[in-house]
Amino acid sequence: MDGFLIFLQSIRWQDVVDITLCSYILFRCYVIFRITKAFRILIGLAFLWIFQRLAVSIGLIVTSWVIQGITAVAALIIIVVFRNEIRSVLQVKNIKTLFWGLPQQPFHTPVQIIANSVMDLARKRIGALIVFPGKEDINEKIQNGILWDGAISKEMITSIFWEDNPVHDGAIIIEGDRIHEVGVILPLSHRQELPSYYGTRHRAAVGLAESTDSLIVVVSEERGTVQIVKGFTITPMLKKDDLEKHLQQHLGLVIKDPSGQKKEKNEIRLAAMVAVIFITSVWFTIARGLDSLVTFEIPIEYMNRNPGMEILDASVNSIKIQLAGSVPLTRALRPDHVRVKIDLGKSVVGQNIYTITNENISLPPGIFIKSFNPAVVDVTLDVPDKKNLPVQVDWTGKLPENLRMEKVTIEPSIVQIIGGRQLLNNINTAYTEKIPLESIQSSRTIIVNLALSPASLKVAPGFKDKITVECSVK
Amino acid sequence: MVYFQKCKVIIWGAAIFLCLGAFCDKHGLIWAASAEKLVISSAVLCEDVQERQPLYEGVVFSIGIGKIFCYTLFDPVPEKTHITHNWYNRDNLTTKIKLSLQPPRWTTYSAIQLRESDKGPWRVEITDSEGRILQVLRFSVTE
Repeated sequence: MDGFLIFLQSIRWQDVVDITLCSYILFRCYVIFRITKAFRILIGLAFLWIFQRLAVSIGLIVTSWVIQGITAVAALIIIVVFRNEIRSVLQVKNIKTLFWGLPQQPFHTPVQIIANSVMDLARKRIGALIVFPGKEDINEKIQNGILWDGAISKEMITSIFWEDNPVHDGAIIIEGDRIHEVGVILPLSHRQELPSYYGTRHRAAVGLAESTDSLIVVVSEERGTVQIVKGFTITPMLKKDDLEKHLQQHLGLVIKDPSGQKKEKNEIRLAAMVAVIFITSVWFTIARGLDSLVTFEIPIEYMNRNPGMEILDASVNSIKIQLAGSVPLTRALRPDHVRVKIDLGKSVVGQNIYTITNENISLPPGIFIKSFNPAVVDVTLDVPDKKNLPVQVDWTGKLPENLRMEKVTIEPSIVQIIGGRQLLNNINTAYTEKIPLESIQSSRTIIVNLALSPASLKVAPGFKDKITVECSVK
Repeated sequence: MVYFQKCKVIIWGAAIFLCLGAFCDKHGLIWAASAEKLVISSAVLCEDVQERQPLYEGVVFSIGIGKIFCYTLFDPVPEKTHITHNWYNRDNLTTKIKLSLQPPRWTTYSAIQLRESDKGPWRVEITDSEGRILQVLRFSVTE
C-alpha cells in the first residue's frame, strides 16, 4: 500500500498530460480511420509490430529482422495502395472534425431520386450506365470522362442518357449529391461466361465492378431491365425499393436503429479505453521501467559559494551513481544529463561536511537513483591570500661518489604564492620539482618548475614560475 | 665666572647625551658605545665537526652518512646568551636544540641522526634567545 502511495506521489502532472495527449491522438486515429479499409490493415500492422517486439524480447534475432522488414514494407504498401482513401479522410473541409466528433459523410446522395430516374429510364427503354464509386480510386480504370459536376435530378439523369445527347453512350459517375463526370468509358470485362445477350454496356459495368469496389447500375436499352453489378455479382432489380436499399447499403446511408447507435457508442467508448490502457502501458514500459541499470561518475557542482572564499580541498570531486530506468531511457542517458549539486551558501572557512541526498542529484524523467557513493563530501574553504615564500630545491637520487654539492644559488629566491589563507599559514617554503642528482656531473645551471601542493596554490602574477638553479659541485 | 661657564658646558653636554641615548633606544639603533649585537660570523651544514672546525660542508647529504651537523660561529657575542637550532623537514619542526653562547666569541653546533624516512628537503632556522630568526640554512637529504 505504501509502495502504491509512493508511486502515486512520484507521478508528475507532465506524466498525466503525456498519457492523456497520446491516448487522445491514438483514439482520434481510430475514430478517423475506422470507416476505411486501411484501418484493418493498420491493425494488422500494429500486431506485426507487437510480434516484432516480442521476438526481440525473447531473442529471436532473425525472426525479429524479418518481421521488422515486413512491417516496413507493409507500411509503405499501405500508404501507396490506400493513398486516396487516406487523403480523402484527411482532406476535410472543417479541420475541427480531425480533433472532435465522429466523421460523417458530408453529402448524402439522393438515392430516391436516382432510383426513380433509373426505373423511369428502364420503362422508357433508355439505356444507362451509372457508377457509384466505393472507397477505391477508379480514375486509373476509366477514360475520357467529361467533367459535369451537376446537381442530381430526375430530369438531368434522363437528359444525359437521352439518345440525342452526345454523351449518352458513356457512363456517369455519381459522387455525393453531384453527377461528377459523364461520357465515361469503362474497362470491358473479358469474362467468357457472361450471357451472350450482354452488350457493351453490361460488359463495361462488369469490367469496372470486377476491378474496383464500385457499384454500377445498368439499364438495358433492349430489355428495359435494371441490374446492379458489384464485384463479380450481377443482381437484377425488379423493384425500386430493392434498388434504393442496395444503393443505400453501398453508400453507407443505412439509417441505424437505436440499438445500432448504442452499439456504435459502446464501440467508441471501448476504443477510448483501449487507447488509454495501451498508451499507459507503453508509458510505463518507457518511462517507469526499471529493468536496466547504468553507472556514471558525475562531477560535483558546488553552488552559491561565497565569492570571498575559495574551495581549497574536497574529499571527492565526483560521485559514482547507479541509475535505474527502462532500456530506451538508460540507453539515451548521457553523463551530462545527470547533475550533482552541493549548496555552499551556508559554508564557513575551514572544513565543511555535506551529506549527499537524492535532492542533491537531478535526473531526467523516468530515471531513478539506485545507489551512490560516497554519501559524504568534505569540502574545505578558505579566504584567498598572498604570501612570499623562499624557494628551496628538492633534490632526489644520489650524487656521484666523488662529488660534493657545496653551494646552490636560486633565482628567484623568493616567490609570491596565491592561495587560501589557512593553507598559506602552514606553508613556509616553495619547493621545486624534484631534480635528479644522477644527472649532475659538474657545476651547472638547471631550470626547473615549482611543485606547488595542493594544486589550488598558484604563483602570483609578475613572479616567475620557472626557477633557475645554479649548483656548484666539487 | 670661569667655574660657572664650565658647569654650563657640562650640563649641556649631559643633556645632549641623554637625548641622543633616548632617541637611539626609541628607534632601535645600536649605540656602539653602550651595546654590541650578536652576529653570526659563519653558519654551515657539514658532515662532522672536529677541533671546532666544520668538515665536508655541503647542501646535499647522503642518508648514508648517518649524521648531519649545523655549525655556527658567533663573533662578537656581547653577553652570555643562548640560541636555538630549529631543524625542519619539509616545514615540519622535527628537532629543537638550545645552545649556550659565551662572550666574546663562541663556536657551537648541533647534530641530528638521520633515518631512512628523513630523505627530502630540510632547513635549519637559527634563532636568538627571543626567537628572532638570525639565519636559515637549507639542505637536502638524499639516497
